[in-house]
Amino acid sequence: MTIETIAVIGAGVMGSGIAAHFANAGYPVRLLDVVPKGAAEGGNRNALAEGAIQRMLKADPAPFMSRRAAKLVTPGNIEDDLDSLADVDWVVEAVLEDTGVKRALYDRLEAVLKPDAVISSNTSTIPLGMLTEGRSEGFRRRFLITHFFNPPRYMRLLELVAGPDADPAIVEAVRGVCDHRLGKGVVTCKDTPGFIANRIGTLWIQSSVNNAIDMGLSVEEADAVVGRPMGVPKTGIFGLVDLVGLDLMPHIAKSLLATLPADDPYRALYREEPLVMRLIEEGYTGRKGKGGFYRLNKAGGGKVKESIDLKTGEFAPSVKVTPEAVDAAKAGGLRALVEHDSPAGRYAWAVLRDTLAYAARLVPEICDTILGVDEAMRLGYNWKFGPFELIDQLGADWFADRLAADGQAVPPLLEAARGKGFYRAEGERLQYLTTAGDFADIVLPEGVIRLSDIKRVSKPLLKNGSAALWDIGDGVTCFEFTSKMNSLDDQTMDLLGKALKLTGKSHKAMVVYNEGSNFSVGANLGLALFAVNIALWPQIEQLVKGGQDAYKAMKYAPFPVVGAPSGMALGGACEILLHCSSVQAHAESYVGLVEAGVGLVPGWGGCKEMLLRHMADKRRAGGPMPPISKVFETIGMAKVAKSAHEAKEMLFLREGDGVTMNRDRLLADAKARALAMAEDYAPPAPPEEIRLPGPTARTALELALDTMAKQGVATPHDTVVADGLARVLSGGDTDITDVMSEDDLLALERSVFMELVRTQGTAARVEHMLETGKPLRN
Amino acid sequence: MPTYHAPLDDIRFVLGELLGTEKLAELPGYEEATPDIVDAVLEEAAKLAENELFPLNQSGDEEGCVFENGVVRTPKGFKAAYDAFTAGGWAGLAADPEYGGQGLPKVVNFVMEEVLSSANLSFSMYPGLTQGAYNALEAYGSDEQKALYLPKMAEGIWSGTMCLTEPQCGTDLGMIKTKAVPDAEVEGAYSITGTKIFISAGEHDLTDNIVHLVLAKLPDAPPGIKGISLFVVPKFLPKEEGGDWVAGPRNGVACGAIEHKMGIKASATCVMNFDGARGWLVGEPHKGMRAMFVMMNAARLAVGLQGLSQSEVSYQNAVAYAKERLQGRSLAGPKHPDKPADPILVHPDIRRTLLRMKAFNEGARALAYWVGYSIDVYTKHPDPAVREEAHDLVSLMTPVIKSYLTDVGFENANLGMQILGGHGYIREWGMEQYVRDARIAQIYEGANGIQALDLVGRKMGQNTGRLLRRFFHPVDAFVSANMEDPALQEFVVPLAKAFAKLQQATALVAQRGMADKEEAGAAASDYLRLFGLVAVGYMWARMAKLALEKKPTANGREAFYDAKIKTARFFFQRMLPEVNALNLAITSGKASLMELDEAQF
Repeated sequence: MTIETIAVIGAGVMGSGIAAHFANAGYPVRLLDVVPKGAAEGGNRNALAEGAIQRMLKADPAPFMSRRAAKLVTPGNIEDDLDSLADVDWVVEAVLEDTGVKRALYDRLEAVLKPDAVISSNTSTIPLGMLTEGRSEGFRRRFLITHFFNPPRYMRLLELVAGPDADPAIVEAVRGVCDHRLGKGVVTCKDTPGFIANRIGTLWIQSSVNNAIDMGLSVEEADAVVGRPMGVPKTGIFGLVDLVGLDLMPHIAKSLLATLPADDPYRALYREEPLVMRLIEEGYTGRKGKGGFYRLNKAGGGKVKESIDLKTGEFAPSVKVTPEAVDAAKAGGLRALVEHDSPAGRYAWAVLRDTLAYAARLVPEICDTILGVDEAMRLGYNWKFGPFELIDQLGADWFADRLAADGQAVPPLLEAARGKGFYRAEGERLQYLTTAGDFADIVLPEGVIRLSDIKRVSKPLLKNGSAALWDIGDGVTCFEFTSKMNSLDDQTMDLLGKALKLTGKSHKAMVVYNEGSNFSVGANLGLALFAVNIALWPQIEQLVKGGQDAYKAMKYAPFPVVGAPSGMALGGACEILLHCSSVQAHAESYVGLVEAGVGLVPGWGGCKEMLLRHMADKRRAGGPMPPISKVFETIGMAKVAKSAHEAKEMLFLREGDGVTMNRDRLLADAKARALAMAEDYAPPAPPEEIRLPGPTARTALELALDTMAKQGVATPHDTVVADGLARVLSGGDTDITDVMSEDDLLALERSVFMELVRTQGTAARVEHMLETGKPLRN
Repeated sequence: MPTYHAPLDDIRFVLGELLGTEKLAELPGYEEATPDIVDAVLEEAAKLAENELFPLNQSGDEEGCVFENGVVRTPKGFKAAYDAFTAGGWAGLAADPEYGGQGLPKVVNFVMEEVLSSANLSFSMYPGLTQGAYNALEAYGSDEQKALYLPKMAEGIWSGTMCLTEPQCGTDLGMIKTKAVPDAEVEGAYSITGTKIFISAGEHDLTDNIVHLVLAKLPDAPPGIKGISLFVVPKFLPKEEGGDWVAGPRNGVACGAIEHKMGIKASATCVMNFDGARGWLVGEPHKGMRAMFVMMNAARLAVGLQGLSQSEVSYQNAVAYAKERLQGRSLAGPKHPDKPADPILVHPDIRRTLLRMKAFNEGARALAYWVGYSIDVYTKHPDPAVREEAHDLVSLMTPVIKSYLTDVGFENANLGMQILGGHGYIREWGMEQYVRDARIAQIYEGANGIQALDLVGRKMGQNTGRLLRRFFHPVDAFVSANMEDPALQEFVVPLAKAFAKLQQATALVAQRGMADKEEAGAAASDYLRLFGLVAVGYMWARMAKLALEKKPTANGREAFYDAKIKTARFFFQRMLPEVNALNLAITSGKASLMELDEAQF
């Protein structure tokens, strides 16, 4: 079966976010909600869905990947438009968490939908059995639970629950769409309360809050412990509750308590904290309200981050702390954290004991394998490691012994893991512990290649301190950034040059890819600033020249080079993409030339490539100025595309470049693209003639700049930087009758870069960026 | 008998011509510090040093301090000299007028420190420690503490100390054991108990009272260096009398012994026992190291000047001897046929030795005063950006001044002794005393190895090398601006080459050190010396350029400028090349230091 059209019913936060994400994947989506009360006569009967779309267009982070995607969502209401759903392939229900409401809606849907249309519910708390009970077989075979996480665009987990009567073909079709088109990590769950992530996550939160209060930790201390040291996002536990909403906690608890087994450990752990109840009552519902455990006190025009004292319930200025246990964990890992003889260490142990033992107890009750549980916690709660990976870090035997020493039951699965752990590498294969107590291979889905797997079992073709080149099979190499934060430096460029030579000799194509959370945020600024500070000008110029040479060699390589970014690809990393033969981008790619923010102009061919792209853009206005002005604006304002789609609109990517929705599939897609291109590949011809207007265009740009400076929009150093940029983009001292070469433009980029890098204003910007992560407006 | 004359000619050249310190009077608060005033002060300082202090240097060394019945007696004449010193207002030369100080620029105080130390290093310790304690109290003391102590210290009738070291720890102050608990009787006071050693000026007979600044741990102190607090603990508890503070009842602090040392024998180095002594917290609890660093940073620069001072006085006496001592003949044939022999100054090796001292003294002086001048800029300049630049430079150069000037200061005191041969080795000529006195400067206020670690471990990486910018950019600008000047080629070209070596070494040490801290540690001392040499080279190139400009119209001072140019030439040809060897050593990395087992040592 094929799924081509979608309807989402319920335009609340989840429903509208799900609709937006289907649109991101290119699906036409109908978004329906009820007719608002009072709209009976003459009012807007689609107000709820329309309002949701409008809100989403303004939201940050944006639910839509492009404005074009927003146009794919058609608002409507379930009174007037239900009949029009007769042709949709899949209806996602995201209405109130009320069995009666949902079942009533299903009645109506069943009446209008075509017989093989899929119906799925986004419920997070209601068991599938309760939704299908007593319904027709025709309904049960096509009904599923597809549980998205908030926000649907960004959270990668999708929990899929299929009842015993579900048609396997339908399940596979839905799984395929969620995986390939929506880019989700689909985890198959059993029909149990809270499924996987929220079941474990709720207990984890409760344990973290309870223990922090009982053991007398401050919220900052608790967040420092239940945070980075455990591989949990740095918001920590109280920060997370603030983010999710304090008021949501009792709701989730109530619905879980209504359905959990009688002996479930959560029942013993759950309690209504008077402090939490009081906060909710006073409107401290979290970040969406007046604040929560943390708040911003803006009294007296200031902005003071405050936190609540868990003992007294009073707010006081937040004090960042790093408990010694956390320092110990940096050196000695998770074991050092929980074994640290301090309140923070004991707290860490209490939280992990509760949470990990709970997870071990729940397999196979909630999921057939530990793999699903670990994946769910990684993707649904952004944990770096799943519970079973964490137990392996502690040591399964050690953990079981300590549980027993604490007088707690050791779950059978944990007993089975004694002496083996949960994961192991067997030769070239990675294996996991099954519920039967033996090991089975971890099998990746078709079309997923992991560089980490290749790296585990092979040696790099080339390698230095900043990059490596791998053979990823079928005659394709993979160029990987390996430096800290994937920043680019002279060694990256050096290895890129060598990688191109080697690939040209013995391979068919190359992809530029890595598995960092960001492709790369650009040049190693620390290194550059240090060189600036010690006045090592020749080395800096060499760094610029080396990058230009390497990128240019890549552009004209006799084989295709496919860039495959995910996450941020900024500055020098954007420039490498600009020089690739083609790009296969993860949809969540954030691309831009942000050099102006640190007082520089792109120096690795970024100005040149953007100019060439805009000059060749068939949609552009005529005359020499429009492309120059456009690039001036894009680079001068350091604009960043917030998705691969936006990157295409801004010409950072080409129209024909590929977009992969599922991060796991990026490398395989990029490789396939590279191989397809390698058939009769011809490198691009150098641009025939580049003609730029020179000083006249520069004057025009500077005039605009002058106005901005007078309006106070541009700071003094902005003016210096933009002036340099104007000089590059206008072609320096050329005029429209002169033909310039790519190398002329590169030389111009280089000389302006070197001028700017010597200014104190630029040094101050770079220093500020390195220290605060924010641009300095000097 | 040894002699000493404050090198006022050279001092004036550095202040007035090289640094342009007349601009100081433009800074708010320094309106009085006009060149005339400053010059008059320098003249008087020179007289004090030459006439009052230098004559006590040898006798003080012979006699030493005496410890009897818990009391320290300074050598004969010290008390009278100290009284003359305070009567002249010298104790508060750079102190705030609000507290009775003269409010003169720090760079003038730098000159004073050099001259005083040359004349009598032991004596200079007493006011030196007072000044350090004054600075810390001024920066972190409460208003009451400042009003109580600072006027007495600026006047010099109460002296100060810094009590850091304990028997079990010096460099690693996180290990101190001295305890402070709330005083049972006096609200807000603390009771301090513990033993401090190596306390300079801990006990003596020069002042009415001694104000100890003591590092101790409060009962709730976090472990290690983050749990140290600073207390002010007076020898006599101050009491109010007729609207003034005077020394009152004895506090629970006493000297237990004094050390018997290699040098600076007239400076009392005391074991101090605090037995429930009453003290008051200075600054915030557990933040004592911050206040202590104010004191230490100033003190480190002063110690650097001590190194220079011993090289200077040794040089003066070595030159006098080399001109008078007749032995043998010049290798090129007799220079003074009328005399029974030529003075030994005719010999190339004697000249090499003396020139090493001379070139160092003048170059290091220029460098140190540049840093001193920068302290004035960062304390007084109205523009915060300029203040930051100056502060960066001082932070960066403090370990260089401390280490490089004391290392070479000691080497030069030895070279000076060598000129006198056997006479240098016996006491009568005073030369061996400079060697002994200079030696401590490499050790105290943070041993020189620690200074090198401070440079590579803290200063180098701070703000991604921003501190380095304050030195590297001026040098880079100077080199680019003067590279093409034919008259300057012989100075600027070697400077440029040495500077490039420093740049390369800096990049290398930073890069290796980031990956492996031991690499930074292995390079540290050689790197600091390389830095010192290039810094002095920069000053010499600037001085040579200035001398070349001034010489044609010098009007009677041609010889002075001519000597500058010639000394610069010597520096660039015979001293700066050491950077090549240092660079090779640095580049070799840590391997050869680390590969021996413990047992192989």
